[in-house]
Amino acid sequence: MHTTLSATGAREIVVNMGHIALGRGDDRLKAVLGSCVGLAVYHPRLKVGALAHVVLAESAGRDGAPGKYADTAVPHLLKLLAEWNVPAHGLTAKIAGGANMFGTSGPLQIGDANVHAVTRALRAAGIRIAGKHVGGPSGRRIVYECASGRMIVQQAGKPEQAI
Amino acid sequence: MSSNPHENAPSLAVLHELFASATHDASAAMCRWTDGLITVTLDEVRQLPLEEAIDALDVGDDLVTMVVLTLEGEVGGNLILVFDEANGRRLAASLLGRDADLESEWSEIEKSALTETGNILGCAYVNALTRLVAPQLIPSSPYFLQDYGASVLEQALMAQAVACDDLLVCRIAFCRKGQELDWRVIFIPNQGMRMALEQAVHSAP
Repeated sequence: MHTTLSATGAREIVVNMGHIALGRGDDRLKAVLGSCVGLAVYHPRLKVGALAHVVLAESAGRDGAPGKYADTAVPHLLKLLAEWNVPAHGLTAKIAGGANMFGTSGPLQIGDANVHAVTRALRAAGIRIAGKHVGGPSGRRIVYECASGRMIVQQAGKPEQAI
Repeated sequence: MSSNPHENAPSLAVLHELFASATHDASAAMCRWTDGLITVTLDEVRQLPLEEAIDALDVGDDLVTMVVLTLEGEVGGNLILVFDEANGRRLAASLLGRDADLESEWSEIEKSALTETGNILGCAYVNALTRLVAPQLIPSSPYFLQDYGASVLEQALMAQAVACDDLLVCRIAFCRKGQELDWRVIFIPNQGMRMALEQAVHSAP
């Protein structure tokens, strides 16, 4: 992960594949997504956000960074938030990504599977999905604003959208 | 369970040698295609952790122009040619014998010139890899893509990420009259190809 500091002390954190980052206040969490899913969780009262860059749907008992798999990313994200004294109650989620960039001829149609797995894991944790921007054939750049819980999504050739 | 099923990973030096041979063939094809203007050289064969892969391949998070050729099947992978916008236009223009137009939309003929470049390079690698690892490799038609480089690489890397956390990639540089250009080719084998390459290395004299 790369972190840069603004003049005001707010952090801008680039969240790489398999990583999870937490931010608060004016911090901004960023990722570039293809078939991966950017899973952001937000606590509106505490203004704390977290972003996981989920790569694959199921860990199936494999080791690896907890943020890599949907089924391990959600519990680990909750654990990290608890370390910041953020309760699980009241959290909302936004998700983006899960593209199938190589169409039907590609090696894997993994984007859809990732979206379904993240949705399932959030449901199991009792976290409501407040917004999503998923699927399709194009990549996305996302910026998650911890102050507002707003996720800004950019796609090639399309106007920027906020969810 | 180990996160890395490649504990007996072969020497990267041997893999480098194998890809250097394939690159030699690809370079000859590229040289013929561009009338002696452009050649390719093997930059690196590298094994790197999943979370560092995108940064290490240095495609940035900006929009880039790409030609993607997929080797389909159990033993396969993706060959991705990456250009920034201006350099992609310049290559297409030089192939078409005209001045580069950096302002207008890509025309079909420009896209075609670039995808044909992907086809020529891809076929040269397919032929070399077929001799090396498998009786049949099935390349897709190359396709033209303008998207975030990191997004495309991310999906290509999935074909190995499903099985392990350390990824094997091969990076090739373009040269014009011996000078390296800011274009590159990235070959990302899938898990089946990776295992076949490892077997080829083990059986190499």
